[in-house]
Amino acid sequence: MELSINGRIYKVEVEEHMPLLWVLRDELNLTGTKYGCGVASCGSCTVHLDGVAVRTCTLPASASIGKEITTVEGISRDGKISAIQRAWIAHQVPQCGYCQSGMIMAAEALLREKPDPTDEDIDQAITNICRCGTYQRVRAAIHTAAKDDEDVSPVIG
Amino acid sequence: MAKDNKERSTLKKWSRRAFIGVGGLAGVGLVAGVGGYMYMKSAVRKYSGYGLGDGNTMNAWITIAPDNSITLAIPRAEMGQGVYTSLPQLVAEELEVEVAALKVVHPQPESPYSNTFILTQEVPNIYKSYTVMETMYSFLPIVATGGSTSVADAWYNLRYAGATAREALIQVAANRWNVDPQNCRAENGHVINTGNQERFTYGELAEDAATIEIKELPKLKDRKDFKVIGKPVQRLDVVEKIDGSAEFGLDVRLDGMLYAVVKHPSTIGGKILSIRNEDRIMGMRGVKKIFISEYGPAIVIADNTWRASMAAKALDLEEDGVNKELSTTTIQTKIEQLLNEDPIEVRIDEGDVDAAMSADGGTLLEARYDVPYLAHATMEPMNCTVLVDEGRCECWVGHQASSVVHNLLREATGVKKKNIHIHTTYLGGGFGRRAEPDFVRFAGSAAKEMPGVPVQTFFTREEDMQNDMYRPMASCVLKAKVNPAGELEAFDSMSVLQSTAHNSLMRIMPSMATPPEKDETTVEGIEDMVYSMKNRRVSFGNLELPIQVGFWRSVGFSQNGFFAESFMDECAHSAGVDPYLFRKSKLKDHPRFEAVLDKVAEMSNWSDKGGRHLGIALIKSFGSIVGEVAELRQIGEKEFKLDKVYCAVDCGNYVNPDIIEAQIQGGVVFGLTAALYGEITWANGAVQQMNFPQYEMVRMNVCPEIEVEIMEVDELPGGIGEPGTPPIAPALTNAIFTATGQRVRSLPLVKYGYKFV
Repeated sequence: MELSINGRIYKVEVEEHMPLLWVLRDELNLTGTKYGCGVASCGSCTVHLDGVAVRTCTLPASASIGKEITTVEGISRDGKISAIQRAWIAHQVPQCGYCQSGMIMAAEALLREKPDPTDEDIDQAITNICRCGTYQRVRAAIHTAAKDDEDVSPVIG
Repeated sequence: MAKDNKERSTLKKWSRRAFIGVGGLAGVGLVAGVGGYMYMKSAVRKYSGYGLGDGNTMNAWITIAPDNSITLAIPRAEMGQGVYTSLPQLVAEELEVEVAALKVVHPQPESPYSNTFILTQEVPNIYKSYTVMETMYSFLPIVATGGSTSVADAWYNLRYAGATAREALIQVAANRWNVDPQNCRAENGHVINTGNQERFTYGELAEDAATIEIKELPKLKDRKDFKVIGKPVQRLDVVEKIDGSAEFGLDVRLDGMLYAVVKHPSTIGGKILSIRNEDRIMGMRGVKKIFISEYGPAIVIADNTWRASMAAKALDLEEDGVNKELSTTTIQTKIEQLLNEDPIEVRIDEGDVDAAMSADGGTLLEARYDVPYLAHATMEPMNCTVLVDEGRCECWVGHQASSVVHNLLREATGVKKKNIHIHTTYLGGGFGRRAEPDFVRFAGSAAKEMPGVPVQTFFTREEDMQNDMYRPMASCVLKAKVNPAGELEAFDSMSVLQSTAHNSLMRIMPSMATPPEKDETTVEGIEDMVYSMKNRRVSFGNLELPIQVGFWRSVGFSQNGFFAESFMDECAHSAGVDPYLFRKSKLKDHPRFEAVLDKVAEMSNWSDKGGRHLGIALIKSFGSIVGEVAELRQIGEKEFKLDKVYCAVDCGNYVNPDIIEAQIQGGVVFGLTAALYGEITWANGAVQQMNFPQYEMVRMNVCPEIEVEIMEVDELPGGIGEPGTPPIAPALTNAIFTATGQRVRSLPLVKYGYKFV
């Protein structure tokens, strides 16, 4: 099947019902998207399908054919990081970092839908699990990103 | 050598050299014996940590390249606690360089990198002298990350590593200018001639500096002169962790790599006898091999993780089914028995507790507390990638103890230690789980089945949750006599649980395993309470079960802090004294404890509660004192919102206040998850919880605001990864008592009808 990921077309020979997560990770070596539970409960595997956040550990790869898939590797384009990523650095959000790809993808999708979310909006939209307990900084970073009107900034590091 | 599918240029460069190097050091280490300290000093000077890249080795921790890039060997696992930033800060302070410019690599498990503090609980200083025990632990070596020890262990060694390298660089510059070193100073990666302001970069000096012996040990900076230590320096690992490029064990991708999925026996301690449907499984797409590992599980190897998982799920296994009768009910029966028997050990017996308890006057209190087993549930499930090829072994793993990995792979693959090379990746959570040997052994046995092919061995979430080394279930009966003045005439406790240190060390490092009765973790948080008590007894009854228990963030403090600090609250209320003032009155001999308690009371505006329900707890663990106040809002009869948690922290000298804030916040969330939801139960010899949300976690909507203040205390540093966890459960349940008059003595709260929004 043909998949469009981060603006590039990939051809893979896989079972139609193989979850998109494992196509990304094992067939295409796009390992930024993580496995956490396999039952769409923890959100570590979140990517965007046509801009909407989806959990890929239970999503058959075939369901993403013809849609634009964006993974965490695809949100900083042309050497520029996103407002969410900038805020993540400013607030020093990650600890172990494993769940953060999913957190960031969920936050990106929230901001697209609600550019200035309330705490209640964040509570409803961000249901991902972070075992290190970064929630307070995730919340603060989302609010910071919402107020960030700069379009782009150079990649740090 | 395995070819990497992703960019890994630095690793590629040095992996060959590493294979050559390790043997030399291991050989010397073994014969050192007497004179070990002399050897250790020269080892620090000589050994580079292999993997520091091209450049000049200043000592075991620092390499400076001609292009001025500086690489540090940081031999502690980065599992979120910020050790790849805090330890570089220690070096940077004395080396006079910017932290942001430093590159971190994880070295091989060699003598100079031993964590001696983890065993001695004394801050080592290799530049002055190592004790016999420290020297011995270095030779083993014990290169491990745990017990919130990393900063304490590195406090002198890494600052001296920076200072001695700096002095060598200054000496070389002084020689070149033909001036006294006193007329030179180090600043931001340069040595400057203070007479004429000429300067050399460190890169220009490093080659010569690497050959210099410093005659006098330089004086370390005073606390008042710190420019890097104690500052909220940005984490060196953050940028990688926001664009998906940070490499965790599960992200390792190598040419031709296969994926193995583990299927454990369905009862604890059980044995898999045969695979009934091997032909069918081998016929599934992508499956390359199925075998029963000598370490217990059946392992399916395939060309993709998902295909291997599907095949593992379809396995039809013949098993011996031992321990099938084991259930939470049978465990509870054993606990009741042991609570009524004589303890295996009376760990503390001061004064005459029985006489004080039976004397006239005062109030007698007795309460029974219970907590369940808990899983670690790291977000990244257990995994390990191994390549065995022509007498060599290469391993990629996020593990808390590289020296343990070294030993395990020797055992599992038969490859000699000098030919084993370990790449320590980022850990997707550790919390004690990644100190265990199981997944490394399984990976070693899988790789041995597929010589020449790298194999990534992986637990699904279900396998991970059902085959953990759990925080033990524990019960404790506490008794106290409180006199009319509100003083504790007597305190008595009897705990029944499995011995974590015995159980876990028998797996990890049998030579270091304590017998259960000597295991401090069983009653830590009770036996070390500092409140003044006239008569005191602390007892332990050893529960023996086939269940594996292990180190779980804050270990014994995780339950004993709840028992002790809830019971103190009961004593305070029975005496009719405010719980904060009750504690304060018993801390006159412990000013650091009292100061933390006062601070958290002040932060929470304890004296003016308004409509807020507040609960307080104070616990010292891993060298740091943490006081927490939970601020609770009642919504329904048993429905609450935890609005805020206030934390005051005395961890002595601190390195990075921003990381400390994050660790305390994380520690609170970890403890809160356990208090609200955490419970692992057993039926038919197996764990009943399989995944989230059956084993639920605190999420964004329930997470409180957590405010952290660090005390200014010029003492040796304490730990920070764990001490935030123990006080939250008692602070919360003490707040529930003020709200409802109901004393919570069993966790988790949701099991007893409490609801949190």
